[in-house]
Amino acid sequence: MTEKSGTALSRRRLLTMIGASAGATAMYQAMHSLGFAAESKFQGPIRLSAAPKGASVLVLGAGIAGLVAAYELRNAGYQVQVLEYNARAGGRNWTLRGGDRYTELGGETQECRFDPDLYINPGPWRLPYHHRGMLSYCKRLGVALEPFVQINYNAYLHSRKAFGGKPQRLRAVQADYDGHVAELLAKATRNHALDAYVTAEDQAILLSSLRSSGALDGNYRFVKGFDSSERRGFERDPGGGMSARPAFSEPIALSDLLRSGLWAALSFGAAYDMQTTMFQPVGGMGQVGQAFARELKPLIRYNAKVVDIHQDGRGVSATFEDTAAASSRQTLRADWCVCTIPLSILGQIPMNVGAPMASAIAAVPYCTGLKVGLQFKRRFWEEDEQIYGGITYTDLPIGQISYPSSRFFADGKGVLLGAYIWDMRNSMDFTSMTPAERVSKAVEYGSQIHPQYAKEFDNGIAVAWHRVPSAMGCFGLWSDAARAEHYDNLCAFDGRIVLAGEHASYMPAWQEGAVTSALDAIGRLHERAVAGAAG
Amino acid sequence: MNKKRPAPTAAAVLCGGMAFASIALTGLLLEGPARADTAGIFDAEPFSMTEGRQIYEHICRGCHMANAGGAVGAGRFPALTKDPALGSRQYMALTILRGRRNMPAFGAKYAVGFGGPPVILDEAQVAAVVNYVRTNFGNRYTDAITAAEVGALDRSTH
Repeated sequence: MTEKSGTALSRRRLLTMIGASAGATAMYQAMHSLGFAAESKFQGPIRLSAAPKGASVLVLGAGIAGLVAAYELRNAGYQVQVLEYNARAGGRNWTLRGGDRYTELGGETQECRFDPDLYINPGPWRLPYHHRGMLSYCKRLGVALEPFVQINYNAYLHSRKAFGGKPQRLRAVQADYDGHVAELLAKATRNHALDAYVTAEDQAILLSSLRSSGALDGNYRFVKGFDSSERRGFERDPGGGMSARPAFSEPIALSDLLRSGLWAALSFGAAYDMQTTMFQPVGGMGQVGQAFARELKPLIRYNAKVVDIHQDGRGVSATFEDTAAASSRQTLRADWCVCTIPLSILGQIPMNVGAPMASAIAAVPYCTGLKVGLQFKRRFWEEDEQIYGGITYTDLPIGQISYPSSRFFADGKGVLLGAYIWDMRNSMDFTSMTPAERVSKAVEYGSQIHPQYAKEFDNGIAVAWHRVPSAMGCFGLWSDAARAEHYDNLCAFDGRIVLAGEHASYMPAWQEGAVTSALDAIGRLHERAVAGAAG
Repeated sequence: MNKKRPAPTAAAVLCGGMAFASIALTGLLLEGPARADTAGIFDAEPFSMTEGRQIYEHICRGCHMANAGGAVGAGRFPALTKDPALGSRQYMALTILRGRRNMPAFGAKYAVGFGGPPVILDEAQVAAVVNYVRTNFGNRYTDAITAAEVGALDRSTH
């Protein structure tokens, strides 16, 4: 068989190229037109007027969307009941820590053997500063936040095919890319190649700006010396006393840099969703779901597997099985239903909605994300390599290695995110493995970047989202065509049922999509309830 | 929505006149995969395994499980055993090509990627995995599907 390759340029590759060659603004505009980078529509806490007397709502799913809906509707005076499949609240908002047990589809149970205070977030793990809805709920619920280090200039970019497989510091790749491009542009300017586009007066300013942005020398060259080393780092750092004199480092040659492909990762931290400052809840993302659960405690029924949803002219009934008690089916009823069950599951639950919503539910497959957490006997990335938080990107199947953003310099063991795989090819492959194989592969691949793995590895845990019984997928994988045809129908009320969740947002996979979709849904629900009560 | 447009940066304004930028982009679009292999490193390799068993074990097994027994959680992944739908090789091939509900499509016309290219199976790969499933896990179907038949099915639908 001949080697197969897709001929279409992937959206991410296109975005990466735009970002790398045209700058972050062009990247942003392109992302916006492609449906990403949508600004959160959160406008501050929702203010619902008083609920009509006796009005009731059934919320299906206690993930972020369901919890937000339940919290706000309860505050407005609705009688709220929540049904949740898991024995905990949060849904994909989830933290695994030492002592936790997790059984995936297929029956494999893993016990998390991390030390106290160490954890991984199998699902969402970071909060951009402009995800104001999530940040607002953290503040209101008393969930403490700390910085999440997204961009670390001392982390690595790594390719098996470049530099003999030796990881390169982001700092050096960024400086050298900026420097070489600035030098080329300066040459073009001084050779009058840009005369048709830039006035003489502006060319002088442009040259100054290139010298500044690219760390060029007085002759507009990007060369080994103080200017370039101040960006890319020194061969030997300056110090004090007799050993004070620095040694400058040699920039990577332009051709080597281009052919390495490593520049493809330079725009990752420049994306709107990834820009500094990002946050994480102290003690794990799951703190958010837990905080909501404390607020809503008496309203949530856990271990409830919804098997049927039926509406009529006066209300909505949900039938569920108690998975802990193996008891007979029970039914709850309310005037309205906010259904946040992932489409991967909702598509299999009988529910009498019209063809537009039913077709929309069936139109969205789910992405196959996967994470592996690895505990090591010491924080060698800090001790040996001075990497404090941030992410190493690699072309190995593990995709990336993320270093913890908390407990810097702590003695004892540490936990890395040893794999975060969201490309379909590798995540399907890893999902098909046993949990032990996933951990083993993550260690094997990661040791190509950090040789310390072999000696320091302690234990690990792997979560493949298609194997998570309550989600059966990572997040809704909307194509542009499916979104054009079905998105509005997915979000529109069908009788007394409205859907919410990241799948009902333009922010795929982000919790902020769940928050804003829930607020939008309950705003419309409230209008209907009030209008109905008045009429 | 009151969206604040970012002020254009020098780089963005310049890019229209930056010959190398537009050449790089156009070059990639026109030359496709050969060039792209050396361009960005962070997209996964295409799925190139050809045997039915390999395809099952590296893709299908994630949801349908090692014994093809499927799984039940809040929803279910169907078993690929004792399912009368397997009696139709065309149904199986079309399901793989076009996807079905939460199952992603693997046909080039329908597959959607995220964070990289989608996983695409060609006609021969689809035929291989259909035939593998229909002759394993207790399934004993004798009517194999050919790559040509998968291709015809793919073209017969839109």
